[in-house]
Amino acid sequence: MLSNRQTPNARSEFLAGCRDIAPVLVGTVPFGFVAGVAAVGAGMTPAQGIALSFVAFSGIAQLVVAQLVAAQSPAIVTLAAVLVVSLRFLMYSAALSPHLAHLPNRWRVPLAYLMTDQGFAMGTQHYGKAGDRYHRHWHLLGMGLTLYVVWQAAVVAGAIAGAQVPASWSLDFVVTLSFLVLLVPALRTRADLAAATVAGAVALVAAGLPYKLALVVASLAGIGAGVIVERGHRR
Amino acid sequence: MSEWLVILGAGAVTFLTRASFIVFADPHKFPHAFRVALAFVPASVLAAIVIPGLAMPHGTVDLSLANPRMLAGVAAVGVALKVKNPLVSIVAGMAALWGLQALGG
Repeated sequence: MLSNRQTPNARSEFLAGCRDIAPVLVGTVPFGFVAGVAAVGAGMTPAQGIALSFVAFSGIAQLVVAQLVAAQSPAIVTLAAVLVVSLRFLMYSAALSPHLAHLPNRWRVPLAYLMTDQGFAMGTQHYGKAGDRYHRHWHLLGMGLTLYVVWQAAVVAGAIAGAQVPASWSLDFVVTLSFLVLLVPALRTRADLAAATVAGAVALVAAGLPYKLALVVASLAGIGAGVIVERGHRR
Repeated sequence: MSEWLVILGAGAVTFLTRASFIVFADPHKFPHAFRVALAFVPASVLAAIVIPGLAMPHGTVDLSLANPRMLAGVAAVGVALKVKNPLVSIVAGMAALWGLQALGG
């Protein structure tokens, strides 16, 4: 990782990334804990729950896997659901790619692996700032590594000790809140709002569908609604 | 056995979607309509996760004032609109839920 390009500038960007992600970690810890608990609660061994977290590093994907493993869904259905909740990564990846296009694969592959909802939101904010952008990938790396270490520690704790937390604490609500705080700033235009409203309504109406298909159907309906409103607005 | 397959598959799917444009493809080579649709993915997927989490606390839709998760969610949205720090909204939402549960229980 260290190269002759590492200067105090790279170091300061890295440390700024570690600092900038810190406010998010208070949501990350209980969310990771819940994901660890959910994996074991679904019938996976603690080792499987932890392995899932290390390879997927995505709270919502881990929760979807836990829910569908618990429901004994076929593997292909589970992976289709993981793909749908991971579609947002496509959009994040497309938005970040111009900033990272000049970097070699030894940078782009780990930065892609470490990309999260929070890291993307703060990373694009940081790239939007004025000034020298030459070392800004170190900022992404600082955020990504910090979040990764804290997340995995929380998942391990949840997978090992999880079943002890009383249900009355409603710790699972942290998951909903973690996504709610991302949703609110994502609603910038009328078309965004239409997409979210339709997706939310369809998610409730379609809740009876098997294998969590409601999530897939609702997401696609929301995307369609957003596109339609955007086109109507342009005309 | 099948759990391990799902675990490896989930790792592949999450990595490939993350790496899609950063590592493999140039987004400008895709049709404009595709990029327009991508722009609505976060709002749609996040809402499809959040709304049932608020409105279906026990597997059935409950839009009444007796549903503390919905009220706590509304409170968290109110805070998120005012305060940029996500931590403040999460703490406010949990505090509201615990407060409402204490009142209701």
